[in-house]
Amino acid sequence: MTLELFAVFLGSSIRLATPLLLAGIGEMVSERAGVLNMSIEGMMLMSAFAAAVGAWGTGDPLIGLLIGIVSVVPVALLQACLSNTLRANQIVSGIGINILVLGATTLAYREIFGARSRAEIPGLAKVKPPLLGDIPTFGPAVFEQVWLLYAGVALIIITALTLRYTSIGLAIHAAGAEPKAADKSGLSVTRIRYGCVVFAGFMASLAGAFLSIGDIHTFTEGMTRGAGYLAIASVIFGKWRIGGTTIACLLFGTATALQFQLPALGVVLPNALLIMLPYLLALLAVSGLVGRQFAPATLGEPYRR
Amino acid sequence: MTAVNQERSFAAALRYVLRPALLVPVLAVAFAALVGLVLIAMIGVSVPKAVAAFIDGTFGSPFALAASLNRSSVFALVGFGFVLANRANLTNVGGEGQIAVGGIAATAVALYGHVSGFPLGLAFILPMLAAVIAGALWGGLAAVLKVNSGTNEVISTLLLSFIGVWLLYWSVQSPALLRKPMTSSATLPESLEIPDATQLPLLTGDYSFPVHIGLPLTLLLAIVVGVILSRTILGFRLRAVGLNPAAAKRAGVSYARTVIFALSTAGALGGLAGALMLLGEQYTLKDGFSSGYGFDGLVAGLLARGSILGVIAASLLFGFMRSGGINMEMVAAVPTALVVVIQGLIVITLAGANLFIEKWERR
Amino acid sequence: MEAVSPRPAEAVAEPLLALSEVTKRFGNFAALSDVSLDLRPGEVHCILGENGAGKSTLCNLIFGVHRPDGGGMRYQGAPFLPAGPADALRQGIAMVHQHFSLVGDMSVVDNVLLGRERGILDRKGCARQLAKIADQYGLPLDPFAKIEDLSVGERQRVEIVKCLIRDPRLFVLDEPTAVLLPAEISALLDVCRRVAAEGRAVVLVTHKLAEIKQVADRVTVLRGGRTVATSSEPSKDIDALVRAMIQGNVEALDTSAASILGLELVAHVDHEPAAKAGIEALQIDGLTVKDSQGVTRLDNFTLTVDRGEIVGVAGVEGNGQSELTAVLAGMMASTGGRIHLGSTDLTGRSPKEITAAGVGIVPEDRHAVGCVPGMSLAENIYLNRLDEFTRFGFLNRTALEREATTLMQRFDVRARGPGALFSSLSGGNQQKAVLAREITLPNLSCLIAAQPTRGLDVGAVAAVYGHVREACSRGIAVLLVSSEIDELLTVADRIVVLYRGRIMGSCPADPARKDAIGAMMAGQPL
Repeated sequence: MTLELFAVFLGSSIRLATPLLLAGIGEMVSERAGVLNMSIEGMMLMSAFAAAVGAWGTGDPLIGLLIGIVSVVPVALLQACLSNTLRANQIVSGIGINILVLGATTLAYREIFGARSRAEIPGLAKVKPPLLGDIPTFGPAVFEQVWLLYAGVALIIITALTLRYTSIGLAIHAAGAEPKAADKSGLSVTRIRYGCVVFAGFMASLAGAFLSIGDIHTFTEGMTRGAGYLAIASVIFGKWRIGGTTIACLLFGTATALQFQLPALGVVLPNALLIMLPYLLALLAVSGLVGRQFAPATLGEPYRR
Repeated sequence: MTAVNQERSFAAALRYVLRPALLVPVLAVAFAALVGLVLIAMIGVSVPKAVAAFIDGTFGSPFALAASLNRSSVFALVGFGFVLANRANLTNVGGEGQIAVGGIAATAVALYGHVSGFPLGLAFILPMLAAVIAGALWGGLAAVLKVNSGTNEVISTLLLSFIGVWLLYWSVQSPALLRKPMTSSATLPESLEIPDATQLPLLTGDYSFPVHIGLPLTLLLAIVVGVILSRTILGFRLRAVGLNPAAAKRAGVSYARTVIFALSTAGALGGLAGALMLLGEQYTLKDGFSSGYGFDGLVAGLLARGSILGVIAASLLFGFMRSGGINMEMVAAVPTALVVVIQGLIVITLAGANLFIEKWERR
Repeated sequence: MEAVSPRPAEAVAEPLLALSEVTKRFGNFAALSDVSLDLRPGEVHCILGENGAGKSTLCNLIFGVHRPDGGGMRYQGAPFLPAGPADALRQGIAMVHQHFSLVGDMSVVDNVLLGRERGILDRKGCARQLAKIADQYGLPLDPFAKIEDLSVGERQRVEIVKCLIRDPRLFVLDEPTAVLLPAEISALLDVCRRVAAEGRAVVLVTHKLAEIKQVADRVTVLRGGRTVATSSEPSKDIDALVRAMIQGNVEALDTSAASILGLELVAHVDHEPAAKAGIEALQIDGLTVKDSQGVTRLDNFTLTVDRGEIVGVAGVEGNGQSELTAVLAGMMASTGGRIHLGSTDLTGRSPKEITAAGVGIVPEDRHAVGCVPGMSLAENIYLNRLDEFTRFGFLNRTALEREATTLMQRFDVRARGPGALFSSLSGGNQQKAVLAREITLPNLSCLIAAQPTRGLDVGAVAAVYGHVREACSRGIAVLLVSSEIDELLTVADRIVVLYRGRIMGSCPADPARKDAIGAMMAGQPL
């Protein structure tokens, strides 16, 4: 492999890992607080669609991004309400939301864009960071990325620091590990969990917008194709830690990038196998001896006093 | 019986029928259908026209009726599997992948050698068996992962679904596998059509009403699964493991064996569903074969709240809804995605109403 | 019932918190009815009552976990209805709960900071504050240790410090001594006195009379959710208080039941030695358990239980008892040693094989291992023998319910019927059902019971030990694991003490040896 090809491969791995990473970190926060948020897939799809429509309608990708973020708020609130206030089965409600969003976005897409049209949608700008961007070969191929990617990295660092050094981090940890203790310390478990689900929705909305207006500048029906589930798998594989989740997402991103890189290298493998690879890797990852011991103790259980 | 008694038993019957466990699903479906009607109006289609197209697609012709019934059988099989595994507190969301591997196995066997020449119905029974085995292995894989490394079956069956669907894509893309020989560059990536003898016999033998033997088979399996769950030690073990695995273990029930039994049986039913789709309706394997039926079956299982009769009712509902939806798109230009919206709403409404139902039942 | 309103001489101190005719219902069940109570600054007020008398409900009302359905509360002279724990905490009420409410995988400091500080955490500052409190009350703690690495006594200290650091005016402790060593209990009572001496009001919930004698200024007795007695001179009125608590004659109490209450009329009762005594039944030889992290939980445990003998295993919880019973039940693999029942080797056998060999197990955690709460009483009472009701894979429910009814009558299990949901039974009836199942195994030769009376009221305790003794007199070998020394002293023939997974020593079950056993439980060899 030439250096140029390797640089391109690296760059596309990072680019393809970004939506997983954004969604994965949001999901991790939600799961740490005890809510298994299966609707991450639907949240991403919702935002991917709304951001695309917004960018297409206004011609401004930034407004598109904002619309994408706002569009997920009701979805996240619905998920939070179902899994906390109504104490619904979190898996069932998540899957229900995913079905609803898939149907709704497909329906709306057909209505707005017509059956088969592929409108050109304005996308988010790329930035070339100083110093890093000037490295020969690697600068343009690896570091010249959509600005949302860098914003996402900053957000993840802020999340990590918040979890480690602030009262919010303690509260989230307690809400997932021992909600009774949180409650008896005068914290509202419900409020913490609502907050975390909404945060997961926010991160998923960035991930979805990245897919449609950050990466390929178009929307296709059901375009998330299970990326939300990969994000959930990366949280499990990452043992509910930021570092681990990041590594898992990069791994799945790399596997996805192989799909485009291997044919360029002349390696002939069945296309289907390459598309399947991230899911196969995810399955292997979650089936390693991870066990339940790293999971937040009350993951998936609605809290009841 | 006196009039008073009659009145009382009538009131009791009414209370039974109107109990939330029955009433809420009905209301949820009605609510979702209402939203559907509003959406139809919103996208500017005449509601009566759309409704007429919907009804026409469901009961309008013997053919439509038969297609709906065949589809309902597929949903019901996946739903039975879901309910069975759910007794052991396992959530099988892998129906889609189980259908896919079932379809692959059925196609492979139906097209293999002289299978089509086998007598006594073996020509279509063997492909069905192959599909059952493939589905069982696919579901059993998730069970083994759960038993050995505690992998959450929701995640593993979901991922296995994606893998199964891409396996199917692979097998119809690759000439070395099931793709029909390429005669020109325009040859579609799909398998050969399976021979007539391997296709499921029709109940009436009349192609204008093509209900195949999958329907009675599904009803038979409904009884079998229902009896297993309510009357046998197997059903007790599923329930014990589902409610309290530690106490079940102490009482001598093997967790591993029960989980593997539950998920591989669910998988087998999913695989059989795939066989019905291939041998009874589609006859060729192509990309997109599973068509989301695995998720429809899952939703039917969820709706049923553990009841086999509930699965049948929900499957019939979704089977007819799908048919109606397809006709609505063809005749009234309402995208079939509308049906998906309605399904999503039903699931969410029911998930949200669960607390209410449980509170009511505890009174 | 004595007058609840303060006598003139005591009217000096205004009540800090006054409850008047408070009622709390859960569904149709009245957990508290018309309870009146006042708490004054500077006093230790004990709430005495059996399990299920409504003590915890009372605490939860004060702390805002539940809201009263009737009556009213006044706090510092103003009407008081806390919206939740947060509100109660803000108003100067702190509570140590019956079950620890600590986050296991967080440090002591983080647990103390939880819910108390906003924004960026000042862990070092909090550690300094902890050190100060520790000095002031004699509660030493390592601020950066993880909770899950602490002993039960240390965890209790964290709970207390968590409250004291908030400088509460009212300090509620709900059965704080249930899991502590004798020495730790007196230290805790000492803290209570010191806290009260600072002008705070202390509420101590307990069912142990010794504690009341040691620390209480006043006592309120609850029974069936009602106040049945109060006293301002508890040490004088102790007999009347006990009578009020259990509604009966103290002298007529079963000795084992009396021991639970901490009554000092306990004398060891020798039961008739069974005919087969002296024949070894259960032999445990060098049993060792290491957990997944390689920590030794049970270390070279060797013990023989003869037929017709009751051997007690004493010790503070978390010293290897859970591992011992789990291994004996086949629920956990040992890493060394052997288990024999007579000539049968039971090492590494499955739960099913162990049951078949004639070992009955009453597990320490009834709800986790002993039963399936979501199934019927009949299914639970034959949980491990359902094969007997199965033919060609079909379960014969009629026969099952018929047999279950017989057992229910024999063991006085009270329920709506054999089809009743197990979770609808009271704790005592659930335990009787579990015991019935294990004790009626057809070829029972050994019974292992872990904490069999936990959470039961006096009547149920007496019934449980009655059945255990009866089994013993039939020549069954009994291994009784309990953290209640008084119970073991009453029931067992011989006691071994577990400390950090090892046997610290053993001695005959003689009440005179109680102090020695307490010392061994704290890790001092005999």
